[in-house]
Amino acid sequence: MLATQEALNQFVEDTGGWVASQLEACTRCGMCAEACHFYISSGNPAYSPVWKMELLRRAYEGRFTLSGRLKLALGIEKPISDSDLDTWRTIDYEACTLCNRCSQVCPMGIDLGSLIHGVRGALAAAGEVPKDLEDATQKQIEDGSPLGVDLDAWKDRMDWIQDEWEVKLPIDVKGADTMAVFTSIELMKFPSNFAYIAKIMEAAGESWTISSKGREVVNFGLFEGSTEHTILFLKRIFDAAEELGVKRVMVTECGHAYEALRWTSFNLVQVPKGLEVTHIAGVLGEFLNAGRIKLKAGAMDDNLITFHDACKIQRKGGHIKEPRQILNILAPNNFVEMTPNREDGICCGGGGGVISIKEADQKRFDAFELKIDQMNEIGAKRVTMACSNCRLQFTDSVQHFDLDWKIYGLSQMVAESLEE
Amino acid sequence: MFEVALIIFVGGMTYRLIRVLLLGWGRDRVPAMGSKTVGVLKSYLKGILIWPFIPWVKDTFKRNPLIYVAGGLFHLGLFAVIFLGTAHMLVWKSLLGFGWPTLPLPIVDWMAAVAIVAMLALFINRLVNPVLRMISGPAEWLNWGVVFLPLVTGYIMAHHLWFGYTTLFSLHMLAVDMLLIYIPLSRISHFMFYFFSRTIHGTEYGKRGVMP
Ligand code: SF4
Ligand code: SF4
Repeated sequence: MLATQEALNQFVEDTGGWVASQLEACTRCGMCAEACHFYISSGNPAYSPVWKMELLRRAYEGRFTLSGRLKLALGIEKPISDSDLDTWRTIDYEACTLCNRCSQVCPMGIDLGSLIHGVRGALAAAGEVPKDLEDATQKQIEDGSPLGVDLDAWKDRMDWIQDEWEVKLPIDVKGADTMAVFTSIELMKFPSNFAYIAKIMEAAGESWTISSKGREVVNFGLFEGSTEHTILFLKRIFDAAEELGVKRVMVTECGHAYEALRWTSFNLVQVPKGLEVTHIAGVLGEFLNAGRIKLKAGAMDDNLITFHDACKIQRKGGHIKEPRQILNILAPNNFVEMTPNREDGICCGGGGGVISIKEADQKRFDAFELKIDQMNEIGAKRVTMACSNCRLQFTDSVQHFDLDWKIYGLSQMVAESLEE
Repeated sequence: MFEVALIIFVGGMTYRLIRVLLLGWGRDRVPAMGSKTVGVLKSYLKGILIWPFIPWVKDTFKRNPLIYVAGGLFHLGLFAVIFLGTAHMLVWKSLLGFGWPTLPLPIVDWMAAVAIVAMLALFINRLVNPVLRMISGPAEWLNWGVVFLPLVTGYIMAHHLWFGYTTLFSLHMLAVDMLLIYIPLSRISHFMFYFFSRTIHGTEYGKRGVMP
């Protein structure tokens, strides 16, 4: 039997009724396709969410149901083969960002994102991970960073940021309340984020720290679908938090890392007792409401500005109100919503590790055209978001399509309009 | 024959249910941000009220209105016929021992017609829509046929069109028996698993404090 089939069987066994009942509920109505940016932008039926979980259905039915076994015996259904692995590796890794928008339109409410993640897990177990993802994971295992930034290089970078922006980055401070965990995207592409967050923390009078051990919050294990690697990377963060004795871990601007730490970890590893996991978007709201930071009202009110909902921070993360609260202060007359928005927001197309796979570039840019349409519809040329992965996809695409947009990070906006 | 079919139906569905339940359910240890109960409630309300009866709240509706409208009307018509048609209510009464008020015949009749037309539209849609063509195998076509037959024989019977009443009654009963025996073997059983997936959906979104 093929390794993937085995892995999928194991997956159903492990997840049990939770997955089985959802697979049983699917009516194969195809409605989920209409929500997926990869299907909408390409018209390729293979990118419909229901098809992306097809391997899982086949494995499940062939192993766990009577009718499935009957179908296999009669030859109506084919067992999973090597060429299937090739096909599904491409569609599940390169044409799915695990954004879970599809689950919002499925009439049965099937959690397609999780099921597709399960298929990725099986493919990973069978060694069928796209080369770029695999390389990045390997680097994260060895150097502690998917971009290959080892501890020395990281320290140099920290020094440079402190000099460049004249801020203080508290590193490895024992007993701090909050440990901020950054992504390598911020480290390499948006280093100013460190400075912005430092400014905000200082303004709020928060006792905080950055850990040199838990310095990388991106979890390539999650992108791969590999539980083993996911756990390995999660542990690095939790071990660091335990060592420093912090009360909470604050994920800065990364959606997938937030998903892994906030929603997945508690069922996967032993999270230190009493440790809270939160996201900067939530913390900004908390500081504002407690009056710990004040923003210059109308500081960004000179032009239309809109907000891009990140799938893992808004739809799957719950921080829908805070960014809007901030925007309503900073641009009371010029903040406009894209449609659809909030939990129904359209994904940027770069999440789920897609942006790190070279072969997926075209699909990713095609998907981004939906965002361009949304922006054009309201005529906005400024957009902000709370996820660096989205922000990278936006800046990259703006370059690709040669657009004259301005892209902001949420913390950036807050830091730049702090009332002294 | 009807009794046998009924027993197979109930037995088969129970087997399916137990099979899934016995696969085990892990405990969720994730600290919630919102209320799971609220999420579940909203999920059902939205699933039943907004989808599919006021579906234009979603942008996806605009992308494929036919599947929403036809899918919604088909289910609505089917439920009306099965539960609110007098003839069927009497069958239920003989099985359950109690009855309930039903809709006037012309209304049920119209709803049956709507369900039939919707089913035809769904059939054609399955033939032409690229996604549906890709995900449809023999099972999907059979599902359609097995549901369509009782509906259409019942309709013809109620209208005394063609053939004699007794022939049509036997045909209708045969179709119903087939349906009952076939449901546990197929995806038509989704009406049972609907409650699982919707509850899971609501729990997940509620836990995250997001509108499901
Ligand atoms: S929308 Fe839901 S029920 Fe329909 S095919 Fe997709 S997953 Fe299955
Ligand atoms: S999770 Fe997002 S990208 Fe993946 S299939 Fe669903 S809608 Fe498409």
